[in-house]
Amino acid sequence: MDLDTLLSFEWGAMAPEFIILGVATILSIVDLFAPKHLDRKIFGWIGFAGILLALASLINLVGLGPVSILYDTFRLDGFAKAFKILLLIGAALVMLLALSYKPKEGMEEYKGEFYYLLLAGLLGAMMMASSGDLITLFVGLELLSLSSYILAGIRKKHLPSNESAMKYVVNGGIATAFTLFGMSYVYGLTGTTNLIEMTNVLPNLANAQYIYILGIAFFMIFVGLSFKLATAPFHMWAPDVYQGAPTPVTAFLSVVSKTAGFVILIRILLTVFGNAFAGNSGVAAMTNFLVGMQDYIAFLAAATMIIGNVVALRQRNIKRVFAYSSIAHAGYLLVAVTAMSSFMFDALWFYLGAYLFMNVGAFAVIQLLTQHTDNEDIGVFAGLYKRAPWLAVAMGVFILSLAGIPGTAGFIGKLNIFIGALASEPAHYVLASVMIATTVISYFYYFGVLTQMFFRPAAEDEGEGGKIRVPVGLSIALVICVVATIVFGLFPNIALDFFHTNFEGFADFLQ
Amino acid sequence: MENAWIIPLFPLISFLFLLLFGRRLKENSGYVGMALTFLSLIYSLVVLFDRFNHPTYKAEATWLAIGDVQLTAGFEVNQLNALMLVIVSLVSFLVHTYSKGYMHGDDRFHIFYAYLGLFTFAMLGLVVSPNLLQTYIFWELVGVGSFLLIGFYFYKEEAKAAAKKAFIMTRIGDVGLLIGMILLFWQVGSFEYDAIFLAVEEGAISAGIITLTAILIFIGAVGKSGQFPLHTWLPDAMEGPTPVSALIHAATMVAAGVYLVAALFPLFTASETALMTVAVIGAFTAIFAASIGLVQTDIKRVLAYSTVSQLGYMMLALGSAGYVAGVFHLMTHAFFKALLFLAAGSVIHAVHTQNIEEMGGLWKKLRLTGPLFLIGTLAISGVPLFSGFFSKDEILIAAWTNGNPVLFWLAVIAAFFTAFYMFRLFFMVFTGQSRSEMKNVHESPKVMTVPMIVLGVLAVVAGYFNTPWFGTFLGDWLVEGNEALGHGHTEGPAWIMIVATLVSLLGIFLAWLMYGKKSLQRDWLSSRMPITYNMLYNKYYLDEFYALSVVKTTKGLSVLLSYIEAFVVEGIVKGVAGIVHGLGKTGSKIQSGQVQAYGTVAFVGLAVLVVVYVLAGGYLK
Amino acid sequence: MSSVPVAAYLTLALILFCIGLYGALTKRNTVIVLISIELMLNAVNINLVAFSKFGMIPSITGQVFALFAIAVAAAEAAVGLAILIALYRNKKTVNIDEMNDLKS
Repeated sequence: MDLDTLLSFEWGAMAPEFIILGVATILSIVDLFAPKHLDRKIFGWIGFAGILLALASLINLVGLGPVSILYDTFRLDGFAKAFKILLLIGAALVMLLALSYKPKEGMEEYKGEFYYLLLAGLLGAMMMASSGDLITLFVGLELLSLSSYILAGIRKKHLPSNESAMKYVVNGGIATAFTLFGMSYVYGLTGTTNLIEMTNVLPNLANAQYIYILGIAFFMIFVGLSFKLATAPFHMWAPDVYQGAPTPVTAFLSVVSKTAGFVILIRILLTVFGNAFAGNSGVAAMTNFLVGMQDYIAFLAAATMIIGNVVALRQRNIKRVFAYSSIAHAGYLLVAVTAMSSFMFDALWFYLGAYLFMNVGAFAVIQLLTQHTDNEDIGVFAGLYKRAPWLAVAMGVFILSLAGIPGTAGFIGKLNIFIGALASEPAHYVLASVMIATTVISYFYYFGVLTQMFFRPAAEDEGEGGKIRVPVGLSIALVICVVATIVFGLFPNIALDFFHTNFEGFADFLQ
Repeated sequence: MENAWIIPLFPLISFLFLLLFGRRLKENSGYVGMALTFLSLIYSLVVLFDRFNHPTYKAEATWLAIGDVQLTAGFEVNQLNALMLVIVSLVSFLVHTYSKGYMHGDDRFHIFYAYLGLFTFAMLGLVVSPNLLQTYIFWELVGVGSFLLIGFYFYKEEAKAAAKKAFIMTRIGDVGLLIGMILLFWQVGSFEYDAIFLAVEEGAISAGIITLTAILIFIGAVGKSGQFPLHTWLPDAMEGPTPVSALIHAATMVAAGVYLVAALFPLFTASETALMTVAVIGAFTAIFAASIGLVQTDIKRVLAYSTVSQLGYMMLALGSAGYVAGVFHLMTHAFFKALLFLAAGSVIHAVHTQNIEEMGGLWKKLRLTGPLFLIGTLAISGVPLFSGFFSKDEILIAAWTNGNPVLFWLAVIAAFFTAFYMFRLFFMVFTGQSRSEMKNVHESPKVMTVPMIVLGVLAVVAGYFNTPWFGTFLGDWLVEGNEALGHGHTEGPAWIMIVATLVSLLGIFLAWLMYGKKSLQRDWLSSRMPITYNMLYNKYYLDEFYALSVVKTTKGLSVLLSYIEAFVVEGIVKGVAGIVHGLGKTGSKIQSGQVQAYGTVAFVGLAVLVVVYVLAGGYLK
Repeated sequence: MSSVPVAAYLTLALILFCIGLYGALTKRNTVIVLISIELMLNAVNINLVAFSKFGMIPSITGQVFALFAIAVAAAEAAVGLAILIALYRNKKTVNIDEMNDLKS
């Protein structure tokens, strides 16, 4: 590859990634040489500014047609842009949380790492959204995973944090191996790692044996990726890791990492498997491979919703409750994936966006209430309305949205998915009913939190007395989250119109 | 009328304003709430009178586009909506006023008014909604509002439990509503009432789906309106402050279910089965709840069961194709039941107990509350010339002309029960001697009595809007321009009215014999009117006869029914909850903290998927 | 050129993968668990290289993929060991079954 070819690429398409990469690199070098007493908080603000800059440059790119550089390994199509916006917003909010994070034992000496590792993880997630090749997809995935492992264990002297990181690494390693093994079979069947080329090769698989292998590869990849999504059967790490990890990291895992997981899942599902056939004879030969797989995905989606919502009922630790709730939400999102209706993308995008705001908001409140004492019992919410009415109202909005009560973004998201499940052909009644039933179950634990906040007197021995001080970063994040949750709940068309006018339903997905 | 959307906004402003500044305003918050709901009331009245002269007005705009599906939001003013607007804003305003006195001295006075504003907003929003989705959204919001209000005394364990129960029980019904709604949407392609009715009329939906969706939507109404078997939350909800009971559990929220069935009436009439279901559930609830009401000793619980029973009446009316009768009773019931609750609140305010066994002889002490309570009792008992008489009469006629004598006689018996237990309540509370030490019993302040007087007047005159004697003005207006709703007035045989009057008088008489007469000085009667005395003496056999046969059996039956309620209905609920909890427990147990177990679960999951895949030949369908 | 059929390589890789999986799910010592995960990842590399040379459509990308996989696996092992050391400082054990403070 000579210089001319290199220069001929439209590098501008990668501008957001370059910005994040640049900021992360500079921060890591400066962190190394900056004097010890320098407050590393400034790094966080620089990182935040970097994310905003990247977001601005990405929005600048929105009008651009689909670009593909580096021999199709990096694609900037509507899909990539739409989901990168979510990833960047999510990471920006998480950065605000991280800025206000003050664990009990302090983490001054490695606070800098915290910020640039977040950026590195974000970079991995963005690469995943944009990659057109299995190799870049895999590298992006691993960049995100490795950063998250370290982030989960960033409180070096805090045993639960260590333990959660260890659990995350071990499970993550196994999941990676599964995914990679599945990918190697797909490569073997097609002889290429380029996603678009695969799309063209796979429909020609003639041999029934090959289709079996394709099926097995599909399951291995799906189960491996379900680790990132925290859906059944690879969901069990989530509660332990969420509980042990520092709260901003938990927010990162449940929002950015999950969104990235869905991005990669959709990419692989629709490009690699999207054109293949379910068999080579009879009806199966006429059936799309994914349609043949629908029942399996539906089963996993149902299992995820049931496990997430039911087990959440038994939890006392607030972060575990939200871990299970995040499992359940991944289940709802899988319903949209299963249905593959004509507006699957809208539904997924909107839901992930709504989930981003309501969940980061909820974690912001959790962080504020739990970080001083390390007491994470659900009782920390007791009497919050008395102690900090605005905080309680904000949390109430998030909870209502998570529960899917009308008037909030969460409701519109669920409605989208629900209508999608019924409007697809064939309609997924069973799945839709499971979704409704588990949503009802979820009211119990969500309203448990509400009851604590509004109907319980505050514990008498509360050290800080009545007032809770909300740091600047956190209050910005809270305001953004509340406003977005309500605005997108009342006027969802703002988001959906933006989506339709700018991304045209991802018509360029397969070009 | 073009600006009717403003009406729900006033209480919303009240809610937001009090949320922001309530703490500073303290008890002055009451005036803010009162002023803003008064504006709603005035505007509602304007809209109602406007509606007399103008056709239905409807405005909407696209709210959400999913794929190529357009969902709209807007508002509509038709006869039913306009009437409901007035009922809701009127009762809400009166309750706002009344609470000024009732909640006086409460620490969280302003929060109470904020919640009232939220609830009123949701309820008014519900009644102007032109489509099912919007209705559903406000429907849920109403649920949230009532959850907050019922749980207002959250330091009481029962109140907390009741709030949760109300929310969850109505939520069970909402699931039915949601599924029915989505099914309708799937069939019609729109949530609009008009589009749905058009599709029903044109036969675009198969009969089976109509029945199914109608029944599913009715399940939602069952939950909200406290119909059997989802009624158990309503009596428990009496843990809330009494003005709340008057607002939510008499006039507005529980009527929302009836309103929903009325608003979707053309859908229901398209299916015989659905109508029949509504009628049967309604009639059964009416008699079931009335019989339980016979043995209750808590003043508010008696009223609660009577509400359940009266709502059953309304459902029976709607199910018997008596659209006008149902809506008419909804209106009269809103007034007299709100009156009864407020009067009960006034009694509780005076004596600080809810147990009627401990009351008695309050007639002389509560000079205003007593007569007002009596008016309410007469109205609900269906005594001629009071509003309840006319509306109940309409319902009975509807049930009779619809050709189902069983339901008709059930309704008649329920009417008898109603008269009996309401007067039992009245006699035990107001007549005779006080059965416990009552100190400082005094009449409530003006701010509480004036709303009651207004309701008292309405409880009498509301019936004259629609009578067989002076013209069926309300009925004719309600069905004007809409064939599907049936006739403004159905002529029924004259004996129905006589029967209705007789059973209610009989009930009152029996109650008097059992609970009123006891306190009469025997020689007072016998000395002055020996003939009457003798007659009464002979009647006494009747009393004993009733006591032995009818009353005993009814009492037994009602005890049995309360057991059914306690064990079967609650049992099913508990069973489901138990299964869910068991599953949760197992799930927690598997979560042992052993990271390798987690990996194993994932691997086993993968293995199962692959094995099923291979065995199924790769293709499940 | 070679008489070893592609199926043999695939079987070898599968066996290696299963051994690795078995080790990762059963061994007590966390170091061995991490090594077992490496084994699984290396099984993938065998697959990739075998497909790259003897697959239906041979191409060089498989080997490139394998190189990436090796690099990533090394990074993962490094991170895993670093976390293990941090954990060891606080808990004084490397046995994975004793890391069960976080549970329901």
